[in-house]
Amino acid sequence: MRAMFSDAPRVTLAAFYWAFILYLLLPLTLMMAMSFKDANFVAFPIGDWTFDWYGKVMQDKQFLEACLYSIMIAAATTLAATILGVWISMLIVAEGIRGQVIIFALACLPAVVPGMISAISLRIFISTIDMPTGTAAIILGHTVHAVPFVVVMALTRLRSMPGNLVDAARDLGADSVVAFFRVTLPYLGPALFGGMIFCVLLSIDDFVRTFFLGGYRLTLPMLIFAKVQGGMSPEINAMATLVLVVTAAVGLYAEHLTRRARTR
Amino acid sequence: MEPVVQFDNVNKSYGGYVAVENLNLSIEAGKFVTLLGPSGCGKSTSLRMLGGFERPTSGRILLNGKDVTRVPPNKRNVNIVFQDYALFPHMTVAKNIAFGLELKGFDNQKIHRRVSELLELVQLEEYARRLPSELSGGQRQRVALMRALAPDPDVLLLDEPLSALDAKLRQQMQIELKSIQEKTGKTFMFVTHDQEEALTMSDTIVVMNKGRIEQMGDPDTLYGRPGSVFVANFIGETNLLRSTVLGMDGDMTTLNWNGITITASQGGLAPKLGEHLYVVLRPEAIHCSVAEPASGNRIKGKIRQRVFKGNHTSLMVDVGDGTLLNTLVHPSEIAHLSGENIWVGWKPETATVIPDRHAHN
Repeated sequence: MRAMFSDAPRVTLAAFYWAFILYLLLPLTLMMAMSFKDANFVAFPIGDWTFDWYGKVMQDKQFLEACLYSIMIAAATTLAATILGVWISMLIVAEGIRGQVIIFALACLPAVVPGMISAISLRIFISTIDMPTGTAAIILGHTVHAVPFVVVMALTRLRSMPGNLVDAARDLGADSVVAFFRVTLPYLGPALFGGMIFCVLLSIDDFVRTFFLGGYRLTLPMLIFAKVQGGMSPEINAMATLVLVVTAAVGLYAEHLTRRARTR
Repeated sequence: MEPVVQFDNVNKSYGGYVAVENLNLSIEAGKFVTLLGPSGCGKSTSLRMLGGFERPTSGRILLNGKDVTRVPPNKRNVNIVFQDYALFPHMTVAKNIAFGLELKGFDNQKIHRRVSELLELVQLEEYARRLPSELSGGQRQRVALMRALAPDPDVLLLDEPLSALDAKLRQQMQIELKSIQEKTGKTFMFVTHDQEEALTMSDTIVVMNKGRIEQMGDPDTLYGRPGSVFVANFIGETNLLRSTVLGMDGDMTTLNWNGITITASQGGLAPKLGEHLYVVLRPEAIHCSVAEPASGNRIKGKIRQRVFKGNHTSLMVDVGDGTLLNTLVHPSEIAHLSGENIWVGWKPETATVIPDRHAHN
């Protein structure tokens, strides 16, 4: 009797966990399964299996263009957000700067402002300053959103950095710029790499900001959205499956690399 | 000869707190100089001022006769070995050592030669391609030392570099540091709170207390003739007997301690009749015996505590009035001292007198 009672909470915890995992994985699994269905509509039973949809997706010029466009925007966003994020975190840890808490809070604000609000305000802003919608506007919108994530990751690493590393570099003849590039930046390396991957994933995933700020060229999420509006088809499932597999692989690989770098 | 380093009336205060007060110090080339004192005495601040990381509130710092008070650290020809080494974690041992040389603009061949030469000096040739995280504490210490020596500084500054090592390794490194200093002929300025380190390695010890120099001299002098109660207590174990001057005879002085007449060396002091002084008596200068000594100073006492320390035994002897004398007895003699009642005696010239004041209070 006693054993049963003491096990009850543990069993309950485990049961809820597995229910959650099922809820998480079932839709993904269904989506992936449908991408192999040899028919034009999405419904059970699957019946015949095929790889045709993948062949079709890979030859779909629209899809490939959207992929390329999304990657380009992600790269530009990552570059800009990393430079800004490192800049801000250096400012926050610098000696003799006042209001560091406020600087940090403001830098983190874009992470908590609802995407919708941020998107609308940016749209109003760019039309006020007569900036056209399109690539530049999208990159600006994505960058603002990505900066806080870089700041948080860079700051965590900077705060664990022994203060006299920079002193040692200065002592050995480095001015502050050389000390930054040869000592601080390499020290930040693993954290920055993780932050950059995060920026890429955030940017590729973003729909709301892109929707409000974009022009006629479609990014990947916008393309999929447009296709879904035209009716579900296993082709969309194949696209989504490809995106899922690639982003998951990149994310896991990045995690693996930063973990290895951190233990050194 | 012109001194390598000169502190000229240097003061440093943070807000109302005075860290260093009126520091005047000259360091000769090729010497091993130690700044010794408790934490907060201003020794590390002085070192950081010479390194260029702190700016004096007033006064000047000269390096080879040139005023460097306002020169930033990267433009001064001094290098620091930091307390926790501060090795660059992403660079190999060789890269760490080469860092300062690269910034001086040496060509690759010269850098390579200098790095191998330095690694050889501390027998770390095989570790050139390792990362600092793959080294032991003692090895890191050596790499930090070589990195700081590589650019050939006018003075090498060492900020408590041995404090992170365990006792055995620390002793070993003391000897190694001293021998490296002798081999390279460099001027070393070493900062520590450990009197044993200071005594082992230094040519000159500068004892600091509350931001000021308390006494400066070679280890022998500081140990044998401390100039103040602070120095006597800080360096080695000490017995202090507060006594009254009865008379002078040459460079000896006669004093009254607790009704007993004792004689001690004047130690450069000019005692006045009736003045209160402290007699400094090192434990190893005291001889314990059952029979009353025929000559010299002697006091009757009772053994209160015996502490076995391996190569000697420490006896705490009550000489009346609650005063405990710390004495040191060799193993060959301890067998004769089984009883409680003994005599403690010492030769007059092994004791010295110091003024009755806690300096700067």
